[in-house]
Amino acid sequence: MENLFIEATKYTPKIDLNADSGILNIAGKSYPENTFEFYKSTLTWIEEYFENVSGKKTVVNLDLEYLNSSSLKAYFDIFDILETSHEDGKEIEINWIYDEDNDIAQETGEDFIEDFEELKINLVEKE
Amino acid sequence: MMNVSNMRSVMSNEGVLFSFSGMISQSLVSFMVETGREQFEYKIEDSKIIHKMFIVAIEQLQNIMSYSRDKDITDANKYVSPGLFLIGYDSFKEKYYINSSNEICDDDKEIVSKKIDFINSLERTELKKYLRDKLRSAEDKHQRGAGVGFIEMAKRSSEKLEYNFETVDGKLYFHILTYI
Repeated sequence: MENLFIEATKYTPKIDLNADSGILNIAGKSYPENTFEFYKSTLTWIEEYFENVSGKKTVVNLDLEYLNSSSLKAYFDIFDILETSHEDGKEIEINWIYDEDNDIAQETGEDFIEDFEELKINLVEKE
Repeated sequence: MMNVSNMRSVMSNEGVLFSFSGMISQSLVSFMVETGREQFEYKIEDSKIIHKMFIVAIEQLQNIMSYSRDKDITDANKYVSPGLFLIGYDSFKEKYYINSSNEICDDDKEIVSKKIDFINSLERTELKKYLRDKLRSAEDKHQRGAGVGFIEMAKRSSEKLEYNFETVDGKLYFHILTYI
């Protein structure tokens, strides 16, 4: 399976999904106007990845400074795929990374933990 | 010269710190919020207020882009839309505010009023649950958004969302005001 890499812009995050290492990194700001179009390739990639992966732990690092409301929905959908994959027996660890002074990012991570109780989501504060 | 003079005096009375009127596109949204943030970081020590202002500004500006009646659709999914956008400080309330205005379609008036009235009737904990339900059901999702922008604004606001409609020269305008 090919890896997916999308460079960051001022309002979209860097997306670096590596099927070989099983490390999925997304970092930056996310407030595009065409959010669902932007995340389409990412959602498809993650779905295909979990259909094929076996015997390997997947680590998902999400370091998102700002999310507009449509991006919130896109990440809700990503967490949905992760939860389904977890229920299928895939081993997944998620790190929700935020700056210590960014209380909104922290709160968003806490909300995802509440919404997706089955998933292992760590809150990681950056110094 | 009277026009700018009048505008200047109105803006000064209203505590306007940043204003834009004209065509709003995604690159301009990004420019305004990023530059605004840099400038307000000098003024405002509390980073929580800055983060809230940033989020509310994006939601209001992207609402203008998506729902303004006179929008130009330049590409498959890229809009450029006319609107008015203000950031100010209310010295009586001692709060920052984000305020915007755009023309909307007549049909949207009832939809928007219902949505905001309902959101305003909710307590903070209920807002969180309502947002979660909307994200899960995706019932208000459309091509360009999840239909949850007003909920996000309400979550970041210290007061209820204020809004009204005004008809000028046969055009219907929607105004929204969010206190941080």
